[in-house]
Amino acid sequence: MKEKLKKFYSKFKFHWEYFLVMFIIIEVIVFGTMNPKFLMPRVLFGSFNDFISICIIAVFMCFVFITGGIDLQAGSIVGLTSIVIGVLWKTLGISIGAACMIAIIIGCLCGALSGFFIAFTNVQPMVITLGGSFLYSGLAIAVSNMSNTAAYLGISGFPEYFTAFTKKRFFGVIPSQVLIFIALAVIAYIILHRTKYGREVFLCGINRRAAEFSGINTKLIVMSTYIFSGMAASFAGIVMTSYLGSSKSDFGSDLTMPIITAVILGGTSTLGGKGGVVGSALAAVVIGIMRFGLSMNGVSNQYLDIPVGAMLVIVVAASTASKNEKINAFMHRHLTFKHKLTDK
Amino acid sequence: MNTIKKFINRRECTSIIFLIALYVIVGLINPTFIQSDNIMLCLNGATVYTICAIGMAFVIFTGEIDASIGATLGLSAAVVATMVRDGKPFTLTVLVAVCIGLVIGLINGFGVAVLKVPSIIMTIGINSIVRGISYVYTGGAWVENVPKNFKELSQQGIAGLSWMYIGTIIIMIAIYMFLAKTKRGRYFQAVGDNEDGATHLGLPVTGTHLISFVICAVCASLASVVFVSRIGFVTPTSGNGYEMKAIAACVIGGISLSGGIGNMVGATFGALIMASISRILVFLGFSSNYDNTITGILLITIVVFDAVMQHRNTEKARRERLSARTETVAESKVVGGNM
Repeated sequence: MKEKLKKFYSKFKFHWEYFLVMFIIIEVIVFGTMNPKFLMPRVLFGSFNDFISICIIAVFMCFVFITGGIDLQAGSIVGLTSIVIGVLWKTLGISIGAACMIAIIIGCLCGALSGFFIAFTNVQPMVITLGGSFLYSGLAIAVSNMSNTAAYLGISGFPEYFTAFTKKRFFGVIPSQVLIFIALAVIAYIILHRTKYGREVFLCGINRRAAEFSGINTKLIVMSTYIFSGMAASFAGIVMTSYLGSSKSDFGSDLTMPIITAVILGGTSTLGGKGGVVGSALAAVVIGIMRFGLSMNGVSNQYLDIPVGAMLVIVVAASTASKNEKINAFMHRHLTFKHKLTDK
Repeated sequence: MNTIKKFINRRECTSIIFLIALYVIVGLINPTFIQSDNIMLCLNGATVYTICAIGMAFVIFTGEIDASIGATLGLSAAVVATMVRDGKPFTLTVLVAVCIGLVIGLINGFGVAVLKVPSIIMTIGINSIVRGISYVYTGGAWVENVPKNFKELSQQGIAGLSWMYIGTIIIMIAIYMFLAKTKRGRYFQAVGDNEDGATHLGLPVTGTHLISFVICAVCASLASVVFVSRIGFVTPTSGNGYEMKAIAACVIGGISLSGGIGNMVGATFGALIMASISRILVFLGFSSNYDNTITGILLITIVVFDAVMQHRNTEKARRERLSARTETVAESKVVGGNM
């Protein structure tokens, strides 16, 4: 029995995802006691509408992190997608479905352009995606100038069936966005953890040279991860446009930091080779619920960056410090209860 | 001839040539652009970027990155503006600003150098925390009514060039000399170039990392003084995006993000290019909305061009070395045959 417990414990301890699930439960309980309204399923699931774009993008951006890269441009692709849909529909009169398809293609192309430079010229991913974030947000403004409405107003008045699909609630409770998110997360999970391609992505991150020698076209793999990330950003842009019922060029401009926070909090290493879809998805939910819960309890929206930032720093500092030999030795020397544990 | 060759081989050369070409081309299209008044305005407008880029260059030299200076600039600008508005003395204001930078820099440096948190994560986290604190401090309101004499500080100068920009350039040259000529100054690039090597040589690697973050944050808070003096009001989102602009300025100026390569002159010219773009767009008759597009294209083009050229150079050097080796082998064989 004891052995079994011990085994269970050791298995339990090394799964970061369990910790994240626990964290979500704790959050729900804490916020629920502070404000009972929070526990209503309708409110709780409805909160997903606020952070769905973070979830969708984080799930696919962990691909980029696993190859050892970083993607700062996803936020600006969200805005570009949104405004492209608006302009195509309103100014050029293309049907909304076709506009969405074109927007997804544009998102993929944006990712492909940056990915191409990163994979084929060996420039640091950070620089290229930084330039990409400038470029795509600038393009979004340029596109929005093509429409007749002022940029700060955005384009609205979309047909009913487009805005309705994100407002639909299944069983009267679960918004369709949650289902979209779960579907995308499952697809990402299958791609990353259940296919040959996924293993190649991991190998690229662990040791790119070894991957190359084993016959993997690392350049294409690295480039493809940025395409996935751009595609996810355009999905997020579509969902956001549909939910808010208007398209603006500056949607998503403040998403970059929360997305990166979510990916890293999900246990994905910035050095590459480590991480997973489940962790990223759960971490995005953790961040989203924390932001939502705090704002429901009367914390102003602008202060929400403090806890999220603090969480990121503390988690990463703790996890790197726990691997640091010096600190471990110090703890071992000075915390006596650890001796007792090891003696037994 | 040799000096020209030497100049062309230097990293900042690309950005200087690019800047001159940019000014000449825009001047040909719209001659008012290259009148001395306007060039002085461009230079003065680059002061904040230049100070930020100088600070950022220290961090990038050591191979790290600081994404928190935007928030640092915002917070200390808010504090400076309120203090000046309430009639506090100038020196005290600057001192408080420097202290803010010092504290944020120490936190960043402690996390990165001692706890070994990856710098991008650490500074992104600190960025959002500091941004939140500045919201708490200002209560989400604008800080306005900065006294006139404080605003005039950035207007005064000689021949249209403000004292602040001249001071920045003098400090930049001093830092350039310090980095190039002194032993301690070389540490920064040594650490960035090869951290393990620097450790084995007995250089204070941890200390160097820590100091570079402190310098970067202090530079950002000094830039905030110039910022308040130039703009005259502070919003809760002031300084947003300055971290990216400063990084872009450094990269355009030929400082490699992998560390150890580049110098301060490049950073200064990079900052000047970044600051000139929106003005150039206006002079060419475009909306300054396209500022970001041009910046992005410029950043990607320069970096990719640089990487491709570097790759070609290393290939060429490798081939030369290889052919030289085969020649010596062939010669020695001939000699051996004769014996």
